[in-house]
Amino acid sequence: MLALILSQMATGLVLGGLYVLIAIGLSIIFGQLGIVNFAHGGFFALGAYFALSLYNQFGWPAVVLAPVLVGLVGMLVERTLIHRLYDKEPLISLIVTFALALMIEALLQRIYGGVGRPFSQPPILNGIYLWGPLLITKYRLAVFLLCMAILVALWAFMQFTPYGRILRAGSRDPEMVGLLGIRLPRVLTAVFGLGCALAGIAGVLAAPLWTVIPAMSEMAIMPAFVVVVIGGLGSFAGAVIAGLLVGVVSALTVQFEPDAANAVMYVFMAIVLLLRPRGLLGERWERFE
Amino acid sequence: MTNSKPGLLVPRRQALLGAAAVAASPLAKPFIANAEAAEPIKIGLLLAKTGGIAAQTEYLANGSYLALEERGNKIMGKPAELVWLDEPSPQGSQQNMRRLVQENKVAAILGGSLSSNGLAEQATAAQLKIPFVCNNAAATEMSGKNCNRYTFRLNTPVAVQAAMFAPYLMGYGKKWYFITANYAFGQDIAKSFKEILHKAGGTIAGDDSVPLNTPDYSSFILKIREAKPDMILGGVPAGDLSTFLKQWNEMGMKGKIPICEIAIGDTDIWAVGTEAATGLYTSLWWYDNPANPPEEKAMAAAYLKQYGKPAADKTWMGWVAAKSLFDAMDAVKSTKADDIIRGLESWKGGTKENPYYWRKGDHQMLLRNLVVQVKPKVTDKWNYFDVKGMVPKDVADLEKVFGDPVANGCHMT
Repeated sequence: MLALILSQMATGLVLGGLYVLIAIGLSIIFGQLGIVNFAHGGFFALGAYFALSLYNQFGWPAVVLAPVLVGLVGMLVERTLIHRLYDKEPLISLIVTFALALMIEALLQRIYGGVGRPFSQPPILNGIYLWGPLLITKYRLAVFLLCMAILVALWAFMQFTPYGRILRAGSRDPEMVGLLGIRLPRVLTAVFGLGCALAGIAGVLAAPLWTVIPAMSEMAIMPAFVVVVIGGLGSFAGAVIAGLLVGVVSALTVQFEPDAANAVMYVFMAIVLLLRPRGLLGERWERFE
Repeated sequence: MTNSKPGLLVPRRQALLGAAAVAASPLAKPFIANAEAAEPIKIGLLLAKTGGIAAQTEYLANGSYLALEERGNKIMGKPAELVWLDEPSPQGSQQNMRRLVQENKVAAILGGSLSSNGLAEQATAAQLKIPFVCNNAAATEMSGKNCNRYTFRLNTPVAVQAAMFAPYLMGYGKKWYFITANYAFGQDIAKSFKEILHKAGGTIAGDDSVPLNTPDYSSFILKIREAKPDMILGGVPAGDLSTFLKQWNEMGMKGKIPICEIAIGDTDIWAVGTEAATGLYTSLWWYDNPANPPEEKAMAAAYLKQYGKPAADKTWMGWVAAKSLFDAMDAVKSTKADDIIRGLESWKGGTKENPYYWRKGDHQMLLRNLVVQVKPKVTDKWNYFDVKGMVPKDVADLEKVFGDPVANGCHMT
């Protein structure tokens, strides 16, 4: 039994890594822009579908091109729609992004149809590793390592580059950043694009594992919100810890109480919020109080 | 302040115009009558437009539209049209069914993509006294204890499919692992097959009830691998089955333990991909079955021409449900519910050797099912199955296999 539990924990960590990647873009967009982006799952699905379409034209480079394209679509959406919401009631941004999510799903259904599209991982990543009782597939291990590498790169970008410093300052005091002569609107467009591109990467990585259907956006958005809320809205480290925890808790629940496998993350969220209403690493942000 | 003169409620000019209009109204009557005659006959289509089941409903809807196009978009010689509303949830489906009847004035409704929706819709159909031809839901109770005279159900009930499929499964062994969705369809499958396994003296190696729209099955697959069953009895629907099979292959399990399930859709397997697809299933129809009668081959050819891809089993289900309704309306020449019901009860499809029809006692369609298996090596992105057989083997056993309506709990009211 111990061996199986260890296997389940390893599987949960890998799933958690994917949840983190989906959630981190959502967290960045909320942290920097103050927008709760309900359409994030839509950008996740766009990543999978763009990879599918581009693969037919360009082969494997499509997995790099697809998130870039999702990021560009995100920037376009920010310029045409999202930037109008910055000084509005939060409820309006919820409604608008929810409508956007429905629109993206309907658009995908219109273009690609409702039938799932097969998409396989690169042949080099076929197969499994068996280490004693532990079983992990080559593809899942690669996904986990890639997720961690992206997160480290993102953290380094935010901490050590001038651009990252502008982002962090802008999230706390946008007026002051503006007074310093920095054109914040452009920065915000780039941030929204970055968040969407991260969702796109997650979509590309999930495509060989999940069924590529327009409704895959719904499967991604709820775990992403749970992870962001548990971690603390806008907290990078919080989202990473919460994502991995949610993955492990879900996997262990499958072992002992499979009926509750999807519900357990919400119970976990409720417990965390009862004990710590701002989430695990959530801070008090005057801008949002 | 108005310009009208004091003491006169309606200005004289307007009163004259009004009187002239009233006087002239009989002249307009023929045109109004013509407009009424041109009003198309409306048939409701109640199928999910989004969600995991949308893969199947796309084909169900296309099949329904094809059935109408085949007859020149006319029923009883009059123009006819389908009005398609969504099935967002059981409650939402009931609301949309009311809208179809009360706002769109439809004569009958086709739909019911999920068992949970179908069960809710059939109760509403009885309340609204509207003929409802359910083209996909497979929950046993629909034509059992929940049956009513307004509902006709096409899909073979889970319990019947289980009984017909069982002889094929016993060859794999009697230690089964159950992985079924935790809603009506999955629960029905688990209950039916557990009874069969119990009677056969088999054992349950594991029993997982899985939430709908589960994105990751890796933890379930680890449990199955550890339990070492002879066979997996699946009850996960539509896109969830596709996801399970993809991850089953990804975790190196394909070919190691057989997977069997009833009432799957071709689209569920097409979404998996040629490398990962595997399993033994029941299905109502397969486009490449040499035994298909000429009328169905013509439908499949028309579908291929129009959509550029083969017709799925759900195309046939949408097509045959709609065709039977339209034929029935043509036969009785009426849009009244009681007449349509009478027409459907008398309708027959298929061939003499392989007929299908709505049974009067429970409004269940009696038809033989196919047992299909994914080819050992799939080389065509559409052609996945070998037909292993038709069940029941003898068409004379249809009534017996489906059971007596009253014994099944159906007391038609």
